[in-house]
Amino acid sequence: MFRVITTRFLSDQLFKLNACLFVPIIAALCILPFGVNENIVMIMVQIFLYMALGQMWNLLGGYAGLVSLGQQMFIGLGGYALAVITEIYHLPMIVGLLVGGIVSVIFALVISQPIFKMRGVYFSIGTWIAAEALAVYFSNWTYVRSGQGFNITVSYDLTTTDMYYIAAIVGLGAIGLVHTLLRSKLGLALMAMRDNESAAETIGIEIYNTKLKCFLISAFVTGITGGALYLSIAYVQPYAAFGIDWTVAMVFIVIIGGIGTVEGPILGAVFYVLLKQYLYDYPGISMIILGIIAIIIILLASRGIMGAVHDYWGFEIFSTRRWVNKSR
Amino acid sequence: MEIIQSVLNGLLLGGLYAVIGIGMSLIFGVMGLTNLAHGDLIIVGAFVCMTLTAQLVGSVWAAIVITVVIMAAIGFFIQGFLINRVLDKGAEPALLTTFGVSICLSNTLLLFFGADARSISSSFATANAFSTNLFSVSSVYLLDFFIAICVIAVLHCILQYTYFGRSVRAASDNIHAAELMGVDTKKVFSYAMALAMVSAAIAGLLVGMTFIFYPSTGTQYLIIAFGVVVIGGMGSLLGTLLGGIILGLAQLLGAYFWGSGYQLLAGYLVLLLILTVKPEGLLSIASRK
Repeated sequence: MFRVITTRFLSDQLFKLNACLFVPIIAALCILPFGVNENIVMIMVQIFLYMALGQMWNLLGGYAGLVSLGQQMFIGLGGYALAVITEIYHLPMIVGLLVGGIVSVIFALVISQPIFKMRGVYFSIGTWIAAEALAVYFSNWTYVRSGQGFNITVSYDLTTTDMYYIAAIVGLGAIGLVHTLLRSKLGLALMAMRDNESAAETIGIEIYNTKLKCFLISAFVTGITGGALYLSIAYVQPYAAFGIDWTVAMVFIVIIGGIGTVEGPILGAVFYVLLKQYLYDYPGISMIILGIIAIIIILLASRGIMGAVHDYWGFEIFSTRRWVNKSR
Repeated sequence: MEIIQSVLNGLLLGGLYAVIGIGMSLIFGVMGLTNLAHGDLIIVGAFVCMTLTAQLVGSVWAAIVITVVIMAAIGFFIQGFLINRVLDKGAEPALLTTFGVSICLSNTLLLFFGADARSISSSFATANAFSTNLFSVSSVYLLDFFIAICVIAVLHCILQYTYFGRSVRAASDNIHAAELMGVDTKKVFSYAMALAMVSAAIAGLLVGMTFIFYPSTGTQYLIIAFGVVVIGGMGSLLGTLLGGIILGLAQLLGAYFWGSGYQLLAGYLVLLLILTVKPEGLLSIASRK
């Protein structure tokens, strides 16, 4: 009882605090590239983009109960859409990014038909196999230059500051989108499903549609993020673009930060990017460390760092709780 | 008449695929867990065996026995210290734990052995067992198939005719009833994982002799294992052999008709097709229950 009241008090307070907090934070993030050196800006770019990926995996794995191991297919599609649009058709970069998102949604819609028949583990591996199949197909498809890949020349003209703003829009947009979604009717449906799927179905939630919406939204944002990531990498090649490493990153970010929380992927992305940067010369070691941390977190605190913080202090920044009207 | 050669190779390759998948099938049948580290554990087996055969020149059998023992110990450890602790929390934590184990293993191999291609050298890797005008039979493929039959037969006997096998089957049928009858299910799971790792060690040995391998090829074998298990039906031993053969045939016929670049794609497509049409597999235990 006490916990509930404190949580509620904190939550109400924080709601008012949020406005005062976010305006300066966003303003600070906007002028950041002018105040710090280029290396830090590039790290921020990575953090923003991985944050967006983490948020999208969390929407599926943490809220919709769809543990996808095939999110890399949308990253690959986003990267390749950007490459094809800018290199073959010479259209502007922004068209490439948007086409990446749209192609991802269309592909997600096409595979959703067979893939949503699979449940649980079958879904995880089904998505993974779809991504592997895409990798093989792209490495044999002469239109996208087979295994040779593309140099994305538009990215040569981008300054670090441009890249920063693109990444910031994608990253902050993803947070905003997930937060809005969870506070909408869809979010309520998702939470009802998570708590008890059959009860949710009884009160009229269309489970298939709700899950499909999440899958499509996450495909769209992951596709755009994939395009943005390949703007900073500047070279796209099938086995890297459709590699499982992307999903490994998303899973680690979400598990370490806290699965099923909005703040979790933010924290996880900061941790992931900084650790990777710190151990840049030893890429294997950073993955081993992340793997061990993730296993320990699953064993001891299954809801990650933010989950533990919630449980002990009832502290939330992006609260997705709702309160009934007090006058009732 | 090259198609005869493709069909024959596909059949024999199916045996190897069955050994790759059988450990995963056993684990899924016993505790409903999909072990995402299975492919990497097979590659660990291949690397351990490669190192030991290089160290103990002349006594290949000693190297194989030591590999099997090491792998069984690794399986026992992983199950006892990690997976048993999260099994009660539901399917997702256990799945993600094995995912973490898989990433740790492949990167540890990369750290120790580098990214170079390796293979386990053996005298009959390139030799033909016999050949006619129409086709030839590679001796290593024939050995793969023969060992696959042996592994499946031995596993079948263990599961059917020993006390351990009975407790495994009891735990997979109804875990609570098995516990009430005095079966220590967590211990049974640990031994079952050790047994699955024995099969993974054998699979690793065969993979190492048949193909080249890298620290990162675990993923590829995980997908093959999963394909075999899905096509054949989770938990069915005979289904595993059938699934292996179907996957092997699909890959080699895909390569025959569309070119070798599409070999893997053909396998994936058959797999996705069966996942869509008959997700429980062709010879599933679940459908018989």
